[in-house]
Parts: sequence; C-alpha cells; structure tokens
Amino acid sequence: MTNKVRDIICSVIMLAFGAMMVVLAQDIPHKVAKDVGSAYVPTFIGICILIVAAAKLILTLVNKKPAASQKIKFTQDALGGFGTIALMVVYMLIFEPVGFIVSSALYLFVQMILLSDNKNRNPILFAIIAVALPVAVDALFVFAIKMPLPVGILGF
Amino acid sequence: MVATALANVFNPMCLALIWFGTVLGIIFGSVPGLSATMAVVLFLPLTFSMEATQGIALLVGLYMGGISGGLISAILLKIPGTPSSISTVFDGGPMAEKGEAGRALGVGILYSFIGSIIGIVALAFISPLLAKVCLLFGAADYFGVAVFSLTIIAALSGKDMLNGLIAGLIGLALSMVGMAPIDAQIRYTFGNYQLLSGFDITVLLIGVFAVTDIILAGFGRKTLAASFEKKKWDLKGYGISMKEFIQQIPNAIISSVIGIGIGILPGIGGSTAGLIAYTTEKSRSKHPEKFGTGIIDGVIASETANNAVIGGSLVPLLCMGIPGNTVAAVFLGGLLVHGISPGPLIFDKSGQYVYGIYFALLVSSIFMLVFERLGLPIFAKLLDIPKHILLPIIMVMCCVGAYSANSRVFDVKCVLFFALLGLFFKVFKIPSTPLIIGFILGSMFEENLRQALQAGHGSWLIFVQRPICLVFLIAAVVFCTLTVRKNLREKKAAEAAGQEFDTSEEEG
Repeated sequence: MTNKVRDIICSVIMLAFGAMMVVLAQDIPHKVAKDVGSAYVPTFIGICILIVAAAKLILTLVNKKPAASQKIKFTQDALGGFGTIALMVVYMLIFEPVGFIVSSALYLFVQMILLSDNKNRNPILFAIIAVALPVAVDALFVFAIKMPLPVGILGF
Repeated sequence: MVATALANVFNPMCLALIWFGTVLGIIFGSVPGLSATMAVVLFLPLTFSMEATQGIALLVGLYMGGISGGLISAILLKIPGTPSSISTVFDGGPMAEKGEAGRALGVGILYSFIGSIIGIVALAFISPLLAKVCLLFGAADYFGVAVFSLTIIAALSGKDMLNGLIAGLIGLALSMVGMAPIDAQIRYTFGNYQLLSGFDITVLLIGVFAVTDIILAGFGRKTLAASFEKKKWDLKGYGISMKEFIQQIPNAIISSVIGIGIGILPGIGGSTAGLIAYTTEKSRSKHPEKFGTGIIDGVIASETANNAVIGGSLVPLLCMGIPGNTVAAVFLGGLLVHGISPGPLIFDKSGQYVYGIYFALLVSSIFMLVFERLGLPIFAKLLDIPKHILLPIIMVMCCVGAYSANSRVFDVKCVLFFALLGLFFKVFKIPSTPLIIGFILGSMFEENLRQALQAGHGSWLIFVQRPICLVFLIAAVVFCTLTVRKNLREKKAAEAAGQEFDTSEEEG
C-alpha cells in the first residue's frame, strides 16, 4: 500500500462517517422552540467532517509528489499484533461469564507466551505471575476498595 | 479554604497517596514505552472511591513523578523515558559515557525539583488573577473559549493539520453520544441503554493511550526483547558543588520562565520547553561548543524547564478548563471525574481542592527530590523488567480500571473499541491527542453555543457583540493561521531535504 492509497482509504472512511452522522442527526426531534435543537451541533460536526475528508481526498488525488506514491514498508509482526488483538477480544468476551480471576490468569499466561521469544520464554514464571496477580488484584478490590470484580460461573 | 486544604493534604493517608503516586510516576516515566499519561490514565479509576483531595493528590504525584522519571532512562540508556526528557539526552548521555552518569542523575533530580517549585509558585500567583478576569464571562464568551481551545488541535496535529482536524472532529462526535444538554434528547445510542450517559472519559483515555500501545507492542514483539546497554553509575549527594549551584542560578531561572511560559501556551509540551531552554542556555553560554559533549548546563536547562511546564500548564487548565498538553488533558478528565469543574469559579466553588492541588504539588516535588534520589538503585534496576511480562500486566490493570469506572463490563468492551480506534489512528497517521481535546470540549462547546443562541434569539451576532468572545475568536483565527503557516514552512523544508513528513504528536 502506498501513502496515497492509505490517505484515500482514510478520506473515504471519514466521508462515510460524516455522512452517517448528518443522516442520523435528522431523526433527532426538535423539542424546545427557542432552542436550535439537539440535532444542530451534530449536523454541524458531521458537515465539518465531510468538508475536511473531502479536502483530504482532493489534496491526496492531486498530489503528484514522489513521497505520495512511496510504498509503506510493513516490517511489523502480524502474528504478534493480530494475536494480541484476538487475545484481547477473547479476554473481554470471557471477562464476565468466567470471572475476573480466571479470565485474567488465562489472558496473562497466553499473552506473555505470545510476546516472549524462545530465549526469554519461561512458562513456570509466567504461570506464577498469571495466577498471583489476578488473585492479588481481586483481593485488593474486594477487601480494601470494597468493589468486587466479576466472579463468573465458577464463583470466584 | 486554605486551612481545610492543608488539613486534607497533610494527613497520613493523603501523604501516603502522594508518595505512592510520585514513586509510581517515576517508574512509569523511567521505563521507555510507559509514560506519564499512561500512569495518570491507569490510576484514575482507582481514585473514584477516594475523597476528591486524596484522588487528585494521587494524580498529582503521578503527573509530577512521571515527568521527572524520564531523566533516568534518558541518562542511563540514552532513551528518553518520556518526550519531555528528549533534550536531557543531549548532555546526560555523553556525561554517562564519560563515567558521570551518577552526577547527571543527581543534577537532573535536583533541578527537576527546582523547576517544579518555581512552576508551582507561578501557578499560585497567576491563577487567581486569571480567574478574576474570567468571572466576567457569559455563555457566548465560554463558546469563544471553547473555540479557542479547539484551535489547540492545530498545534497538536503534528504537521498534518487535516488529520488533526479529523481527530478533533471525531472527538467532538463521540461527545455527542447519549443524552443531549438542555433538552435531554437521546442521540447516537443505537438502542443501547448503556450509552445513554455517553462514553466515559476514563474508558476513552485507557483505550486510546494505554491499550493501543500494548497492541502496537504486539506488532513489534520482535524488538521487545532488545536489551539496551545500561551505563553504570555512582553518586554522592546530588553531584553538584555549592559553587556550581550558584553559577547555575541564572540558567535555572531562565529555564523555569521558559517552562512556565510554554506550559501556559496551549498545545506545546515539555519536550519543546526542554529544547528551547537548552538552545537558549547554549546561545547564552560562554562555552557553547561544550554543549552536547556532556556538561551539567544542558541537563539543568532541560530538566528545569520540563518540570516548570507542570505548574504553567495548570494555569489555563484550572482557570478556563483549557488543557495545554496531553497529560494536562488527562488530568482535566481526572478533575471532572471528581466533580471539580475548572473555570473562573473554581476558587469559589472548589477552592479547597485548588489549594489542595498546590499543596499536593509541593509535597510531591519534595517526595520526588528525596525518593527519586534514594530509590535510584531500584529505579535503575526496574529498567531491566521484561516488556513481555510488564505489558500484559498493564492490560489487566486497564480492564480493572475500565470496569471500576462504573462497575459495568460494557466499559471493558468499550476499552477495546477505543484501543482499535487508537490503532486505526496510528495506521492512518492521525494524532490521538486532538481526539481527547475534542471529546472533553464537546459538551462545553455545544451547551454554550445553544445557550448563547437562545439568549441572542437565534442570532449569531451575539458572538461578535461580546468583546471577550470576539477577542477569543480573533485569537483562535490568529493562532490557527500562525500554526498553519509554521506547519507549511516546516513541510516545505522537510520536503526540500527529502525527508518524510512526520505527523506524530507529542504524548506525555
């Protein structure tokens, strides 16, 4: 992907977002006669987004400088990045049904394994941290802050 | 009010919280990859159940420690722990290479303290005067303030103004979710009752600033384990003689004034203050050729200025609710969470908390001076904590923080949504600080606009008929024009030099 393609994608997404904002604002009822109404500012912001996104799109399309067509180098580790996102999604989904301690212990262990390499991978240490930290945090919230965290189906 | 504030701050619990915040802030500031912003964001939810002064005191400690802690890695690793310490590397790094790492650390800590104290004194004197002026403000004038504050986005947009505007507008759009002011109409909730009260500022901050960085660490996991060569150090006292201290007084005063001025101006952070102070001291010096080779003058200029920024940045924040930089924006979120509304009436409505902030800043500065020095062996050791262990722990703390904001799992899911939004911003080179500014100022902008238009019977002329509002609107136009011109000049210069134009912004 080039810088130009990236900016075009960004502009199109923002144009769609701005248009959605303006369209949805039209359904907001106007209740107070003297007031400009609750749709006024969202419509204004939506129009501003449309203008800025359109300006960005036009400037990108007319940009003939070599930097615009330069390819973006992807040197990043896709497995590490998307794996981290996937782990976070699973963590958030099981946070309530499984409870804070179990979900956090599972997340911590797998995330530490994912981020470590062959040289510094230490599953025993990771397992100890993964269990000890959520238990300690849960105890802090239950006994000191008096705000229990989700317990889940297992009851802890 | 002063007596109440004194009693609130100088009690064992509050002092312990300031100490805890300062020490943790130093740790967050010193470890590259963590930041003062992340420290304040992460511990903000923990303050919810605290009494307001105690909660704010913890945040003050984190802010102060976070800015100062950056010097440890700047000197020992030649990597600034926070952007504020960038210019500390210029002379701190060479000093460490010459075997004077301990002396650089000691001097850095001492002058961080001096800069902080001078900044706090300026804050205490300037804020009440500015607040009195602000008492004359009406709804239209506050709209003018909001518009002017939104122009900070221009300065925080890096060098791509359009991307900054997009971020600011998305922030404003996100602040529209939930019940509208004045007539309580429900907007953009898509039938989800959890969104009736809108998004929580804490959740937004945690997602965009903390969790996004963890995802980015995942994408860069191959470099996570890269170890940096850490310099050895040895230090007695603060590494400076009385003669040197007297010689450095003008440097400290000039650098502090620069730091305070930069702090008050919107959109400029500690790194700029450090750089300007460093350059000023270099041009003022009788031996400018020695700068960059490892002399204490450079470390003193940088550290004094970046800590003086703290006091300076709190002046517009307390009196007008204008957050001048990213950490100040997060700190503003903290004040709002505790029901403290910055503005000209803050001294009347929340005077005890304002004085509480002053005292907490003073105490935190003293703790920083004492405990950063005493704890140097431990802080230096903490630089060795592996990131593959530290970052997952921070993620768990983020989820706990988001949950405790309103005791609902919905906020934990929102954290992920905002983290992905933050990632989208990083991929498309959109700065994230304007998003926060837009979100915080959204309700102020809308409420005052609608109230002013009601008072003016729907006429927009009310905004030019009120002198204060007119001044702010003109200031907004001038500020924007100057920023655009500066950016265009820098863009042309960068393109002429064949460099890629960077759009990233400074964050805590």
